[in-house]
Amino acid sequence: MTRTADQVDRLFAALADPTRREIVRRLAAGDATIRELADPFAMSQQAVSQHVKVLEEAGLVSRGRVAQTRPCRLEPEALGTAIAWIVEQRDVWDARHDRLAAHLDTLSAERRSGRSGRPR
Amino acid sequence: MKLDEVVHRRTHEAGPELLFECLTTPAHLARFWGPEGATTPVDGIVADLRPGGAFETRMEFPATGHVHVVRAVYEVVEPPVRLVWREVESGMRTTITFTDLGDGTTEVVTRQQHQPEPNRTPEARAGWASALDRFAEHVARLA
Repeated sequence: MTRTADQVDRLFAALADPTRREIVRRLAAGDATIRELADPFAMSQQAVSQHVKVLEEAGLVSRGRVAQTRPCRLEPEALGTAIAWIVEQRDVWDARHDRLAAHLDTLSAERRSGRSGRPR
Repeated sequence: MKLDEVVHRRTHEAGPELLFECLTTPAHLARFWGPEGATTPVDGIVADLRPGGAFETRMEFPATGHVHVVRAVYEVVEPPVRLVWREVESGMRTTITFTDLGDGTTEVVTRQQHQPEPNRTPEARAGWASALDRFAEHVARLA
């Protein structure tokens, strides 16, 4: 699944909040209803609902239907997307720093050979 | 592990002043900023080195004709130890610190962090805060 910049954005906006990260962690241990999620937080169910909505919009959480309840489920694929982005970014910086190191070598060589110094 | 932050570390054989210059001068940036297979022309780079100044890079991919422009704004410019910029569209903040290791080498640490929606601009933050206030009032009335 290709990620648009927008989707990655929404993913990280969703994960940037510590409460939502905690909700994600709890759902990793199994499905839970809003009431069950709100339990450990000093927070209303409405507030937890809002957080879950953000996670849903980011594709991290889906809602099921079990009798009268709508349990929340973690969608691991989206989480994988977040992790893939981090790995991708690390690769980008790795490659960039490799090129920077090569550039620094070129500058040293230019200086040693007495050619004109740093580019202006 | 913070899922919204990327941290990258590299030690280079150069002093912090030169490294800072490399990361903030178009003539240097053009030589290493963009990936293989892309050109990052000098005249496509803007580095107005001051808080509030523009930092823009333009990468051209001749194989596909694709052009990728990233627009950012500097937030902190402290040569040769700290550099921070924020991408205009995504709000993603990049922080680079340069630590002189005393032996002719410098450790460069790069952090990239997405900003949650409400924090992206002071205006957005103010809007979000008042929206939350209104929501709280609404919920209180329902209770």
